[in-house]
Amino acid sequence: MSWTRICKTADVAPNSVKKIWIAGGIPVLVVNYGSGFRVVPPVCPHMEEPLEESGIVASCVLTCTKHLWAWNLMTLEKQGETEKPLKCYEVKEENGELMAFVDGELLYDFDKDDDMDDDAFFKS
Amino acid sequence: MPARNHAQWTAKPPLANDEWIDSRIYSDQEIFEQENERIFKKVWVPVCHESELSKPYDFRTMSIANEPIIVCRGPDNQVRAFLNVCPHRGMLIERRPSGSFLEGQPSGNPKRITCMFHAWQFDMKGNCVYVAREKEGYQDRLCKEEVGLRRLRCEVKFGGFVWVTLDDNPAVSLEDWAGKAFTCLQKSLDAEPLEVFHYHKAIINTNYKLWHDTNSEFYHDFMHYHNRVTGFNDAYFARKNEAFEHGHVVVGTFEVNYQNYEGFESRAALSFPHLPPNQWYMIDMFPGYNFNLRGSALRCDIVTPLGPDKVMIEFRGLGLKRDTPEERQTRINHHNSIWGPFGRNLHEDLIGVAGQGTTMRPGTESRRILHGRQENQTIHDENGMRHYYDEWGRWMNIMPNNPDQTWSERSTASAAVAAAE
Repeated sequence: MSWTRICKTADVAPNSVKKIWIAGGIPVLVVNYGSGFRVVPPVCPHMEEPLEESGIVASCVLTCTKHLWAWNLMTLEKQGETEKPLKCYEVKEENGELMAFVDGELLYDFDKDDDMDDDAFFKS
Repeated sequence: MPARNHAQWTAKPPLANDEWIDSRIYSDQEIFEQENERIFKKVWVPVCHESELSKPYDFRTMSIANEPIIVCRGPDNQVRAFLNVCPHRGMLIERRPSGSFLEGQPSGNPKRITCMFHAWQFDMKGNCVYVAREKEGYQDRLCKEEVGLRRLRCEVKFGGFVWVTLDDNPAVSLEDWAGKAFTCLQKSLDAEPLEVFHYHKAIINTNYKLWHDTNSEFYHDFMHYHNRVTGFNDAYFARKNEAFEHGHVVVGTFEVNYQNYEGFESRAALSFPHLPPNQWYMIDMFPGYNFNLRGSALRCDIVTPLGPDKVMIEFRGLGLKRDTPEERQTRINHHNSIWGPFGRNLHEDLIGVAGQGTTMRPGTESRRILHGRQENQTIHDENGMRHYYDEWGRWMNIMPNNPDQTWSERSTASAAVAAAE
């Protein structure tokens, strides 16, 4: 639980994303939306798509091109059909370094926990 | 014995009615289709081994009675089976024989089973998790919760084999159906994880039951010339075919004397756990599965009937998962020298059933196939086959020696022998 160095702010060009492994073996996605940065989990909360491949940044919006879930990066408002919020690590810039406050890896809950007893499943 | 004219050739043989078969059950299209309905859609089928889906998101596809099946391992390590059919328009969802869903595909999402046709997606539990343009197309009339995959009963059991049945309410549990026949091998197969090291398949123009027959009697040692002239001893021939309920047969153990097998070495050092050195057990399971543990290597044959005169046989060889590379190579050598495609038995067995398949092609006249050998239930006896066809007749409601008649318990050969005395 601490402020963790992520990368130099110059490492990620405006309107682009970059996947980075930080201390503790945690993968994050750095998003530069021109007027600021977001550090988020590297997968789309919809279908676990790898955002370093499917994510594009334009007009301050991060869009996963697989199924068009999207978030305003300034306000974090969901856009269009998007159903889940984007999880974010708190960030700050210090002397050209991008820092994030990391208290364990942020994860999305993908698998529905609906396992039924097999026998009951087949008899219902 | 003089040659016979047509009437003599087609006459009923002078044997009890469980000691011969009418070859129509090996060649008739209608009987084949009934077998799929009455047997293969009802029984438990060992579709593969869990080591073939060793990591989460690994999958394999196969079919049972023409129904496409997919088996996959979930992130919770549980192996599940589903019909490999999209609930949308009936597309075959996964086309590869095996692979992993972990990574995305051009038309497939990571960790999802994706139908390439319209991008509907399912998770490893068969839940539908994505319907493309769901709201636009179905408004509130249909939602993804209503279009999951069809899940099938699936158990990992008896040495890690993956057993599936198309019947949601099978007449007996897998344990009750197969447990007693597996007792002889259970300790050896369940002591520690096994791993498939050999896979090949053969598609043979013959009926699947003829292949099972070959696995059920050792009288055909006369075909295995090299086996016959080296290595056999009295204990070999003294083994018995022991019948178990549900049509299964177990061939008891004996100690193989590899010293006499030209070019072969003892299997003692690598024998499976709890198996006495160089021993050999074999289980023939109704309706067409064979588990054969010969000291250091386990062989498993699984039949998939493709037609009355066509069968796919999948052959697997297994060792212990913890094998060192050297141990594994030795097991592979042991396996292949007997059972590999160029081993000393398998191609000869395939010549046998292919020859039978040739003479019993659809359209040939029905023939009388004799199952009447009586040798005190030792391995040259055909009691194992008689036991199998009793079970087949019950499931099919057909008399194996007269397919026009419905099943009635057959007069047994031992009764016939008693009557003759």
